[in-house]
Amino acid sequence: MTKRIIIDTDPGVDDALAFLLALASPEIQLEALTTTQGNVTLEKATWNALAVLELARASHIPVARGSLLPLVQPLRASAFVHGESGIGNSTLPPPQAKPVLGHAVDYLIKRVLAEPEEISVFPIGPLTNIAMAIRKEPRFASAVKELVIMGGAILEHGNITPQAEFNIYVDPHAAHIVFHSGIPITLIPLDVTHKCVLKQEHIDRLIQVHSPVSRFIRDAVDVYLDASIQLGYEGSSLHDPLTLATILKPELLTLKEYYVDVDISGGVSMGKTFADIPNVLKKPANMKVAMDVRGEEFVELFLQRMEDLSRRIPG
Amino acid sequence: MPKRILFDTDPGIDDACAILLALASPELSVEGLSIVHGNCSLDQATTNALSVLELANTSHLPVAKGCELPLVQPSLLAPETHGDTGLGYAELPSPQSKPIVQHAIDFLIEKILAAPGDITLLAIGPLTNIALAIRQEPRVVHALKEIIIMGGAIRYKGNTTALAEFNTYVDPHAAHIVYHAGIPTTLVPLDVTYQCVLTQDDVRRLQQVDSPITKFVADATRFYMEFHDEFQKIDGCVINDPLALALAFAPELCTYQELPVDVDLSGGISMGKTIADFYNYGKKPANMKVALSVRARDFIDLFVERIQSLARHPKL
Repeated sequence: MTKRIIIDTDPGVDDALAFLLALASPEIQLEALTTTQGNVTLEKATWNALAVLELARASHIPVARGSLLPLVQPLRASAFVHGESGIGNSTLPPPQAKPVLGHAVDYLIKRVLAEPEEISVFPIGPLTNIAMAIRKEPRFASAVKELVIMGGAILEHGNITPQAEFNIYVDPHAAHIVFHSGIPITLIPLDVTHKCVLKQEHIDRLIQVHSPVSRFIRDAVDVYLDASIQLGYEGSSLHDPLTLATILKPELLTLKEYYVDVDISGGVSMGKTFADIPNVLKKPANMKVAMDVRGEEFVELFLQRMEDLSRRIPG
Repeated sequence: MPKRILFDTDPGIDDACAILLALASPELSVEGLSIVHGNCSLDQATTNALSVLELANTSHLPVAKGCELPLVQPSLLAPETHGDTGLGYAELPSPQSKPIVQHAIDFLIEKILAAPGDITLLAIGPLTNIALAIRQEPRVVHALKEIIIMGGAIRYKGNTTALAEFNTYVDPHAAHIVYHAGIPTTLVPLDVTYQCVLTQDDVRRLQQVDSPITKFVADATRFYMEFHDEFQKIDGCVINDPLALALAFAPELCTYQELPVDVDLSGGISMGKTIADFYNYGKKPANMKVALSVRARDFIDLFVERIQSLARHPKL
């Protein structure tokens, strides 16, 4: 049984890698992309989503434009990590396809309500679109099959403030809405994504397969890899692609059920996700959290799938 | 040309009074109502809105259901202030008409974008619908002529916590979004609405005209008076929302100051408190006009006369 998913995304280098992994995987049927601001502006995110789908000969997949701004917090974007364009130094041709009419929030509501408990949503950017869908249509929460969210840092340090992870920090109020919505959630935090490291040697191996896909990955990851090494990491983390491990190889992840919340009080911990690991609050768990991963095995799986996809699109 | 207005409302006793005052005012053309949680549940508020429109023979006006929960805060309704049905002791027949199918957010966006620069939005409940309309369609910010918000307490004490006013406290995050959106904004806080007390004499005067409309206002406000007497030692009741509506056609009833205003979201004892920076310590431009004094008796007289006139000459 292939799993039907919509990815809610702010591409973003690792976002683009996540779509490519989904498209390379027969276990997954990618139904649509919905875009949001985050790594880049909404305009660039939507452009990048369309352009990456065309690169992978998948421009039949609909793209819906979403939120221009976080709910409450001011806008911020991260050119340092993702490059000005959002996809590093890659130069994709302007996409021929256009986003669908209508807002991503309405698109999500329409698709999820049309087939209750069939569609899983993978939010890999700030959670603005998902939060708005929940508040606009309360039935969304019971109709969506599950959410697999890239976000948060539980025991790991943050990557945008000392404590907070980027996606959650950009729109912590949206995260608060989503976390407490009652939707079955799996959270993929920095605790595990930091263990899935793509290095220059991996890129050197992938580029042996001649394809616009492998060249795109090399060029897209370029800035991201430099930034990661400058920040003291061994390579770039495959944050967003790791969400798909829940489908492709769930045994790689160690999941724990926790009550998780996010600080929205505006102090130094703003946007920090915290798990009540000793259950001192006596609240029921609201999500499964990936606390460990066999990272090298995931990177190997990712590389094999990217080699397969590159072979399918030679040139 | 009458001024074109949309209500975003959670009726609510004083909301109902504001809707009736609008229908009684030839300076205004009411184009529709979007409904939000607040004084009572979304479903109850929607029923109440439809019933009040039928009471005034205006059930042709569209009513759109909106959000049933605040953005982030847990739900907070006010049955002790507005009664279990939201309309005090008033008993209106179940409405024959239904809300439109469109969501309030989409209704607001469509109506506002269809008439750029023309629509005045009367926001007299928690600001959830409006905040989400702004985030879903940022162009509404420039397409709106203005927004008049009943909400906040600047120098006045709160009516929900020691510091915070109800509409703002119920969804402070939505208020934050709306306050900083860039829409020309007039804020009508408790500082002015609590000067406008509708007394039992006023209600007796209103009832000189015998009509279902005056009976409705008398029954609804009698509950309000008992609440205000018990909790706030006010002889009579304050009707917050009609003052905000009146400023749409009679701005001279209040005096205003342009101020930078914000709302506390930090979750402590000031949660939902509206703060005006009178000395501009923050060096920020004013983001709204705040009503700070009111000719209270003139307003109450205007309210009584207009409702009498609507009762005498119901719309056909």
